[in-house]
Amino acid sequence: MKNIFKFLAVSVIGIGMVSCSEEAILDLSPINNISIDDAFSSPSLIQSSLNGMYNAAAIGEYNGTGRGYVWGAAFVQQGDNRGEDVVNTATFYQLTYTATYDGTTANNVYYWIDGYRLINRTNLVIEGVTKAIENGILTPEVGNDYIGQAKFLRAITHFELLNFFARPYNFTPGATHPGVPYREVGIDTQSEIDSEMLKGRNTVAETYDKVLADLNDAENLITSTQLTKASKNAAIAFKTRVYLHMRNWNKVIEEGNKLTGAYTLTAEPDGVFDDSYGNTESIFSTLQSATNNPGVNAALASQYNGRRLVAISPIIWRDPSWLVDDKRRSETYSGEDPDGMVFTVGGRKYTAKYRDRVNYTDAAPVIRYAEVLLNMAEAHARKSTPDLLASLELLNKVRNRALASPATQAYTAASFTTPAAMVAAIIKERRIEFLMEGRRWSDIHRLQGDDLHPIDGIPAKVGNGNPPATAYVLGTPYTGPYGVDAIPGSDPRFLWPIPQVEIDANPTLAGQQNPGWN
Amino acid sequence: MDEVVVVGYGVQKKSEVTGAISSISGSDIQGLVTPSFESQLAGRAAGVQVTSNNGIIGEAPRIRIRGIASIGSGTSPLVVVDGMPIYSGDVGGYASANGLGDINPNDIESYEILKDGAATAIYGSRAANGVILITTKKGKRGTMKVGYSTVTGFASAIKTFDLLETPDFLVISNEKRTNRGQAPWAVGNQYNTNWQDAVLKTGALQTDHNLSFNGGSEATKYFFSMGYANQEGVAKANSLARYNLRASLEHNLNKWLTIGGSIALTRTEYEGLNTGMNSLSGNIFNATRQLPNTPIFNADHPTGYNLTPDNSFVGQWDNTDPVGDNISNIAYVLAKNKYKSKVNRTIVNTFASMDLFEGLNYRFQASADNPLTSGFLYWNPVHGDGRGSNGRLQNNNNDLLRWNIQNILSYNKSFNNEHNLGVTLVSEYQKEKNQSFFGTGTDLLDEFYNQNLVTNAYGTQTSGGGITENGIISYVGRVSYNYKQKYFLQGSIRRDGISKLSAANRWNNFTGYSAGWNIANEGFWGDLKNTVNEFKIRGSYSEVGNTEIGSYPYLGLTSASKYGTLNGITFSQFGNDQLLWETSKKTDFGVDVAMFNNKLRLTFDYYNNDIDGLILDVPLPASLGVPGSRIKKNIGAMSNKGYEFGVDYRAVSNEKFSWNITANLTMDKNEVLSIPNGQDILGGTFSDANIAQNLIIREGQPINSIYGFKYWGVNKANGNPVYYKADGSLVQGNLATARYAVYDPSNPADVSQASSLSASSDRVILGNTLPKYYGALINRLTYGDFDLSFMFRFSGGNKIFNSTRRDLVTQNLNNNSTEILGRWQSPENPGDGVTPRLWASSNTFTNLTGSATTRFLEDGDFISLDNLTLGYQMPKSLTERIKVDNIRLFVQGQNLLTITDYKGLNPEMETGGVDLNGTPRAKIVSVGLNVNL
Repeated sequence: MKNIFKFLAVSVIGIGMVSCSEEAILDLSPINNISIDDAFSSPSLIQSSLNGMYNAAAIGEYNGTGRGYVWGAAFVQQGDNRGEDVVNTATFYQLTYTATYDGTTANNVYYWIDGYRLINRTNLVIEGVTKAIENGILTPEVGNDYIGQAKFLRAITHFELLNFFARPYNFTPGATHPGVPYREVGIDTQSEIDSEMLKGRNTVAETYDKVLADLNDAENLITSTQLTKASKNAAIAFKTRVYLHMRNWNKVIEEGNKLTGAYTLTAEPDGVFDDSYGNTESIFSTLQSATNNPGVNAALASQYNGRRLVAISPIIWRDPSWLVDDKRRSETYSGEDPDGMVFTVGGRKYTAKYRDRVNYTDAAPVIRYAEVLLNMAEAHARKSTPDLLASLELLNKVRNRALASPATQAYTAASFTTPAAMVAAIIKERRIEFLMEGRRWSDIHRLQGDDLHPIDGIPAKVGNGNPPATAYVLGTPYTGPYGVDAIPGSDPRFLWPIPQVEIDANPTLAGQQNPGWN
Repeated sequence: MDEVVVVGYGVQKKSEVTGAISSISGSDIQGLVTPSFESQLAGRAAGVQVTSNNGIIGEAPRIRIRGIASIGSGTSPLVVVDGMPIYSGDVGGYASANGLGDINPNDIESYEILKDGAATAIYGSRAANGVILITTKKGKRGTMKVGYSTVTGFASAIKTFDLLETPDFLVISNEKRTNRGQAPWAVGNQYNTNWQDAVLKTGALQTDHNLSFNGGSEATKYFFSMGYANQEGVAKANSLARYNLRASLEHNLNKWLTIGGSIALTRTEYEGLNTGMNSLSGNIFNATRQLPNTPIFNADHPTGYNLTPDNSFVGQWDNTDPVGDNISNIAYVLAKNKYKSKVNRTIVNTFASMDLFEGLNYRFQASADNPLTSGFLYWNPVHGDGRGSNGRLQNNNNDLLRWNIQNILSYNKSFNNEHNLGVTLVSEYQKEKNQSFFGTGTDLLDEFYNQNLVTNAYGTQTSGGGITENGIISYVGRVSYNYKQKYFLQGSIRRDGISKLSAANRWNNFTGYSAGWNIANEGFWGDLKNTVNEFKIRGSYSEVGNTEIGSYPYLGLTSASKYGTLNGITFSQFGNDQLLWETSKKTDFGVDVAMFNNKLRLTFDYYNNDIDGLILDVPLPASLGVPGSRIKKNIGAMSNKGYEFGVDYRAVSNEKFSWNITANLTMDKNEVLSIPNGQDILGGTFSDANIAQNLIIREGQPINSIYGFKYWGVNKANGNPVYYKADGSLVQGNLATARYAVYDPSNPADVSQASSLSASSDRVILGNTLPKYYGALINRLTYGDFDLSFMFRFSGGNKIFNSTRRDLVTQNLNNNSTEILGRWQSPENPGDGVTPRLWASSNTFTNLTGSATTRFLEDGDFISLDNLTLGYQMPKSLTERIKVDNIRLFVQGQNLLTITDYKGLNPEMETGGVDLNGTPRAKIVSVGLNVNL
């Protein structure tokens, strides 16, 4: 009898055990993540994959968080801090500002990493959408719009990397010097890793060709017209920038003319920033929301406004050609929040272009119509038969809206009688108009060895730290002290090194590091 | 002689054990004031390192058993309480909440630490990092015993930083500027503030009360305990309050069936703070940078604190510039911001045990561990971390649930007292499901809202969450045999399947073998047995695995990834479906010797732990754009080899006086044998850039070696820092231009020959971060009614990169340590030869903040007096009169003394060999009382 009880007890528990089946315990699948194989399996998931691609542009990945590399904030901050028109006041951008970077410095490393991270997403979208069209999941109309948008981001990101990691187009005849690897394969298998690793740097000419081919495709394919997504017009506008760097002046004008009537300058210079999503001038900006932005350590309104980590440099602030009553110096407030163009703390001047220092929802301005106009103005002055009148008209279009009294202060045909003088005025206007929009470095880069307005290397800068209030008193040009010496164009520091992590892991690029960085 | 030790899924006689197991009695370490039990294990056993690398209550100490056993996967041991593998590590919330902190140290009967393959093989896939078995107190037959114990202690920082006071600060700050031709920075000597007082407490109160009841009849035994602990941290705003209830009951239903169970309920409340080593409002980062000539408070400011008029930074007072790095007023931040974790934890355990026939027992056990943690975070909108978002409120909830079911059949039989056989068969099923969610509100309506999320009291709201699951099924068999207590053999096999790997690769077998020979039981040992009563040699070999490899590392996955307000998904994990188990091959040879009737016991072990198939993130070129630029592969190999020595000596033992000495010593060597393509892994196993930038993993070297530039010293001619290039030549960093020039000893002032200091080619390995030896010496004495015990612990042979020291000689407008007084001032007054000329705002260049340098590299050797306890037992004559079994009073000190050349606060305050802005550990003086009724 006793043994029967034992037997029963063991049996009951034994039955309990069988219910612990292998399926329930071991055959688990992720709850938080959709399989990569399903990412392009329905129209709504494909649309989400497209947005995931833009996420890489607007937020990026930096040491576990997002810091707006490349198109959410970093293109502005790095582009500004490589130039002389801002002052880095704390440690944040010091390595970039003082050119004390190397192949392990986070700023340049993440520019590269996040640039290519975005590029791989564009390639995965192109491949996934192409397959979805073949399989009838998407109509060609919808699919081609997506492919065009991906090609736009692929083009502008490769182009951006060129400006930091390669010498400018005119560095060698035919631009045969090293550019960057142009990636056109979506990498998600080992065999793709193996084959892509064999590809080295394309020449600068090849990179430009591919950038333009992608932008032309984008122009033809995209039907979206949203500001915060790639559009046909954004592709055209970007081409004016690329052709300007390529010194193909006629093409700059040809592309720029396509946009006539599509955009107008806002009435006031701060109109673009008053309504960064709904103005008539912005052509492509990345979307930033209160819950999804580069955050307190990167968002433009945080770094430039709330935390004041970067100030306007006295070098440009005191430039005599920036008139004292120019509206771009306007300083107005709504309550305590600056809502003009600049604001002052401790006598130092800061930009007020990025307003939302609580939620960081300002759009990040990638390209706007004023740039297209100035690109065309410069092309007219530089083309083989210069048209200084056309050039002047375009320059004045941008400058006059900022003048207190255009009737008396506007430039006239007598102001600049040579292409060189005209180009110099346009370059200065770009520095003022796009101050703290990240455009300065691109101009320094493309003007190396220029025939009309050459810049050699990186200009001298005001010392890292908080400049004294006296440095901002208008009336005389700033003549020093310069705490950061100029760097000649021949110096290796003119270019960023290819990151050490890339060199270490990529035998092909290990032999193609920028000179002086080995 | 028949001492029994707990082993995996059972117990064994100590004399029959052939594996390397260290046993620690709970009573040996009770009474120590620590936030969690594991920090009490430091120094108690050979091969076991427990390091508390800061003074924050709630942060889990680092435990290593015989070194680091993985590069890319988990390195913490498995912790098993009464057969149930419990959650360890942080269990959620916004204050650090160490999962092991929920266990009441007073409920612990004993610890067994399984170190070698033979002992751990039974835990198979989970044993790579060793196993800590904890046995809780149970009821004992007899009338009810009541025990009460209490301890009250006062904690303060072991050491604080030696910072400049206002007079020196003014000189140094302005010299930074004038050297550079700039106007002075620092003005005003009205104040001389010690900002460390704003973040540290002295005499932080720490109390502990425990009450237990235990007893039982022939058939029924019970144990019931209640505990309360309240500890204030040495860091302001840091504290713990813990409430424990534990009940256990066992009942013999009849001769062959026993049923029972236990339940432990805990509520642990932690309050924490921002301790970020590189955060502007990190307590130590901030306090050490504040300017001593500025006050903490300012009655004229609306907040009462010294803040800038717009509340963005700490006020600069009379200084010409804002304080460097734009830091906050840390006193305001600590007073306003809140970080909390409340852990409600239930651990239940039920069992039925059946003696089926003689020697054969079947045991069924079902257990569950369920920590529920709610967190709360508040950032004040006016100033500090919350200013940027106009305040922040955040609540979160973590629900961790793990259940475990075991069937254990065991058979023990002795044949003719010659052949002793033990067989254990186990089937085990375990699953866990971990859920979390959070809600956040920013842009607060008003700072009034600072207790919880309150509906509509904020402008921007976010939420999030997720679930992870994993499971494991195991089948285990173990056979042990000995012949006349002379020859011992044991073999075990475990077959494990885990949900984390693909169906094709998820099952693996882990085997272990061991053998022993107690020579003292041989006839030929003869009379020697009177002197050497045990002489056992033993050896073992086994294969074990590591399951801490992340969830589904084999799958290609996407993650939700929004663009602004638009839903998005994106590629987030590159899958490798070929991924296999990570395994270790552990070899151990040991000798156990007992002499003079066990008066002296010696233990020696040699171990070799060969780990291969390490799952490593193989770096991919970043330009491929693959997520994280990594792909996981079974590709690495590493070894830990070492020797362990243990001595236990009852020097004196008589009625009046006893003296017991225990000592242990471990010598350990780690070597990375192979990594992908032999390519260095920069950053070591760390992702935090502040640590990672100083480390490297290189083949043939110990894991996480310090990597950087060799520093030569200061150029006496001009005060420039001078470094070695890889080829041994010297370069000087020209402070004026932030460029490198050749340093020519015959013409040191010449800076005209340009040179370089390259991060890619001039960095070298500077040192090993793992101690080569460590150990302890414990003395216990009793004399009449008095008892005295103390433990010295030592460790050394490792290097520490003292990054804190580098922070403290910053060239920005921040305070400095007194080290900076040794700076170069002129060729005639060249200073200490180490500290370069001051140069304002050149911190990244002057101090090379992007890499380790030997300038801040130090030895980690130390000897510390970890604890010292003096107790007094009330005489029986007195206690009997008041019907009390015994009363003991004691005073004790913890961390009283550290002997070291290390210049930082303490050589154990390192993470990966890097010391950076940690909160000082606590020195605690306490008094206590134990009463048994």
